[in-house]
Amino acid sequence: MSELASDLAAADRLAVAQSSFRVLIVDDDPDMVAFLGHLLAREGLKVDAEYDGQAALAHIAASQPDLVLLDVMMPGLSGFEVCQRLKADPATALIPVILVTALEDHASRVRGIDIGADDFLSKPVNREELVARVQSLRRLHQTRRELEGRRLATEIGHKEAMRKTFTRYISPRLADRIIAESGDAPFESEAQRINVVALFADLRGFTRLTETLEVGKVVAMLNEYFAVITDAAYRHEGTIFSMAGDSLLVGFNVPFPQPDAALRAWRTAQEMIAGFSPVLASWTARGGMPTGVGIGIAAGEAIIGNIGSPHHMSYTIIGDAVNTAARLMQMAKASELLVSATTYESIRGAVPAACVEARGDVALRGRSGATPVYSIRL
Amino acid sequence: MSENSHKVVIAKDLEDLIPVFLKNRHKEVDTLRVALASADFEQLRQLGHRMKGVGNSYGFERVSVIGKQIEDGARSGDRAALEACIAGYADYLAKVEVAYE
Repeated sequence: MSELASDLAAADRLAVAQSSFRVLIVDDDPDMVAFLGHLLAREGLKVDAEYDGQAALAHIAASQPDLVLLDVMMPGLSGFEVCQRLKADPATALIPVILVTALEDHASRVRGIDIGADDFLSKPVNREELVARVQSLRRLHQTRRELEGRRLATEIGHKEAMRKTFTRYISPRLADRIIAESGDAPFESEAQRINVVALFADLRGFTRLTETLEVGKVVAMLNEYFAVITDAAYRHEGTIFSMAGDSLLVGFNVPFPQPDAALRAWRTAQEMIAGFSPVLASWTARGGMPTGVGIGIAAGEAIIGNIGSPHHMSYTIIGDAVNTAARLMQMAKASELLVSATTYESIRGAVPAACVEARGDVALRGRSGATPVYSIRL
Repeated sequence: MSENSHKVVIAKDLEDLIPVFLKNRHKEVDTLRVALASADFEQLRQLGHRMKGVGNSYGFERVSVIGKQIEDGARSGDRAALEACIAGYADYLAKVEVAYE
């Protein structure tokens, strides 16, 4: 379940909790349990009972009541010990506890205050006093629940806004993970140098196409194209770093480690090209110029961080892997994927050999020396 | 309500609970006697304490009074006083008359 779904489920549970109020009576005297239970049931409260401290703790662990009416003197675990354990556990600390003590037993009351009891009731029990104290804590409980409900609703709204922001850059699953793990984006952390797999995709010949088409058509076609290729990137949890013109930069192994980053990039490329195929067919049928997706993938070190000026920042990756992927993408033809040798070694088990052609050492613009390149036609 | 007449007026809504309550009090007399016979003063103290708490909660003030006497007697180890209290308790239970209103 995603973090947000979990929060919404918590809000639902809260609404259910508000509709009923359950009291757990803990007393070793069955007559006292019957008496207290009778009076509380008359007030419309749901009543459960346990007859010793250990059973009470097990009951509360399995099903939390809204209030515990706890006798102090019980064989085995005393009411003090039960109360102390409840108040020491963050999961149960907020359950109100009324300690039931003998009228003249002031020492017990002092000890009860020390261990966090919320109220006291004297034995013999005065029925009006019992009802008044329980109803008072019930009102307090409901107020607290309402406040908690409002706080939760605000938190859900905040997380949803964060999620919307994050999903402009990363897959929804990654966004959920970021929100669940830290509440803050890793985007705010210091720049760092890490190994990434960079994938660049571009629509071959589209720049020329834009010169002859109406603006509205260009935008509609770009939207169709980006819908396909961003979906493919998100499916494999790639992070989209830039979208300029008709090209897209996707990073893998960033911001979270992905040991299978190269394979993810390969599958993303496959799905980009396959997913774009019906779109291309539709464009061709409507008289559009033939085009296709060209992709470059390279692995290597890159710097990741917020880069820019105080007025405009961009969370991005820069470095040799990104440059190499960009150059490979520029060389790739429609429906062709060009990969560096290191990337190919990581994915060769998954790539049909018949689709692969070694291009040998290629001189890439801006890079010293030659880069071994493999072409994969899809 | 008069203690001497053994008549007790109990809230009407508790009527269903009273038969079990009284049955448990009769059993309590037996338990008290066994505890006294074995000089188990700790159990006597606990039983007295319980009687003190439950008796007047239901409206049986006399049960709470006797419970307090038993609790005190057990603390001091006064067997004779305890014996008298238990006998008085049995006598009270035999004669008590309950009215509901």
